[in-house]
Amino acid sequence: MAQAQVATQTMLSVVDLHKDFGGLHAVDGATFEVETGAITGLIGPNGAGKSTALALIAGALKPTSGSVVFRGNDITTTPSHQRARQGLVRTFQLSGEFPRLTVLENLLVTAPNQRGDSLARVVLGKWTWKAQETRLLAQARELLGRFELADKEDEYAGNLSGGQKRLLQIARGLMAQPALLLLDEPMAGVNPTLSRRLEQHLLELRAEGLTILMVEHELGVVERLCDHTIVMAQGRVLAQGTMMELRRNQEVLDAYLIG
Amino acid sequence: MSSAVQFYVTILLIYLGVDAIACLALNLQFGVTGLVNFGFILFQAAGAYTAAVLTLGPSSANGGYQQYIGGASLPFPLPLLAAAIVGALLSLLVGLVGLRRLRTDYQAIVLLAVSLIGATIATNQVGLFNGASGLSLVPHPLADVLNLDPISYAWVYVAITMALFLLTWLLVHRITSSPLGRTLRSVRESEAVAASVGKNVIRLKLTAYVLGGAIAAVSGALLVEFITAWSPSSWLPAETFVYFAAVIVGGAGNNLGAIVGAALVPVAFIEASQYIPAFGRPGLIESVQWIVIGLLIAVFLWVRPAGIFPERRRRYAKPHPAGDGAQTPQSEPVLPSG
Repeated sequence: MAQAQVATQTMLSVVDLHKDFGGLHAVDGATFEVETGAITGLIGPNGAGKSTALALIAGALKPTSGSVVFRGNDITTTPSHQRARQGLVRTFQLSGEFPRLTVLENLLVTAPNQRGDSLARVVLGKWTWKAQETRLLAQARELLGRFELADKEDEYAGNLSGGQKRLLQIARGLMAQPALLLLDEPMAGVNPTLSRRLEQHLLELRAEGLTILMVEHELGVVERLCDHTIVMAQGRVLAQGTMMELRRNQEVLDAYLIG
Repeated sequence: MSSAVQFYVTILLIYLGVDAIACLALNLQFGVTGLVNFGFILFQAAGAYTAAVLTLGPSSANGGYQQYIGGASLPFPLPLLAAAIVGALLSLLVGLVGLRRLRTDYQAIVLLAVSLIGATIATNQVGLFNGASGLSLVPHPLADVLNLDPISYAWVYVAITMALFLLTWLLVHRITSSPLGRTLRSVRESEAVAASVGKNVIRLKLTAYVLGGAIAAVSGALLVEFITAWSPSSWLPAETFVYFAAVIVGGAGNNLGAIVGAALVPVAFIEASQYIPAFGRPGLIESVQWIVIGLLIAVFLWVRPAGIFPERRRRYAKPHPAGDGAQTPQSEPVLPSG
């Protein structure tokens, strides 16, 4: 069935991307695409440049050369906050929450185009932003319910468990109304039960039309979730395809799959 | 009350108002937004100088014994307004250089350096604000209109100070209890994460910095218009740490904490130490004051980092079962453990 796909659209293109740290070529000419509406996996051995590639796509790092094209626009030099506003939202491997904001506030703060973020309106008074805030509050609570964090809304995010923090990051990412969600090892340190639930959430999100690019080490997860998988090694794309295809690829086997 | 006591009380109240305004400004920058502004005192000084020269008249006045730039005799409250504008512009200038690319700790160093440079220039460039001698004989605002005896005038000035303090509190409270305040706190918590969800971190930091700078300048202006004199020795860069001590002791991130901190540290503590009988060599008590300020910061950061009034945890009203949902954020203090 997968081979019979027609006219897929490209959400994101990474073209000949390079990132040097001193003499180290962390990303060394990576080129790949992310299709709209699919979950794309980014795998590879430690030091392959996956997280660096994700940071370059999100705008947290500036590439040495190459380009990043998102929904047809070259965003290579666009600051990260503007990328997020265009719908390119990431999660972090570690410390991705605002620890001394409550769980609910972590979501509320993320909503785009908030009237109450304008100094002029805030000075004028609460009536200028209260109606929108009420809507956002309902939206945030709905997301917290969906990610099983409803009873934690008043808890400081820094006090959540590792797994709950992962859930919070995804819920918060959705609050930012993303077109493409970048996940950096969402399953790392998450217990198997929660990991299964997270998988279920991600599949639901895909069904709702969200595009996801995820860096993940757990190959079982990649196999179950990803429509397309990119293997990176030494800063380059070594191979790509479905996991089934990749398991037959000798280069991939040598570099990664059998260590 | 005898007139001496009345005079003393009015001075304390004016100091309290001025310091509370300054602490609200520093709390907005440091407590809420996480800007470690070690140059804070510079902006208070800039406001004081601006208000002073705009009240003193041309520098040829008073026999031309003071040298300064930009002399004018503007009516009250224009010098205060001008001070706010100068404080804002100076903050914008310093912020654009200091806050854009640097990490928090380096920002703190740059801002401290800026305030040292400012103090050195103001002390040595006599033509600017009369050098180390500073400015004096600043006329009391509205004194010629009101024509009151000194004590009644002091009470009027208390009222002016308290009005400005309430106005500042209202402004800062509106910010900290709004979505903007939440966004500023997110910048404090993690600039990288805030940027990743679409927040323009530099712009937000500049907003808090410029606003805080303007408010600090007003506090300086308010003080100089009452005590009628201002010199570099009143705003040595170390004075910044008195305000930091106040905000940390009161509770960083909590406006009430900032006000209580202002009452406890710059007003009560500094005032109380004047009653210690002189001992040791001259100036020893002042030196001990500085040691105690340092200890206060260290002890609080060690034992009670959240201060006397910790930052309030924002809880939002749960929707009514019927679903009408009045959604006012309700702040409740976090219960101290134990």
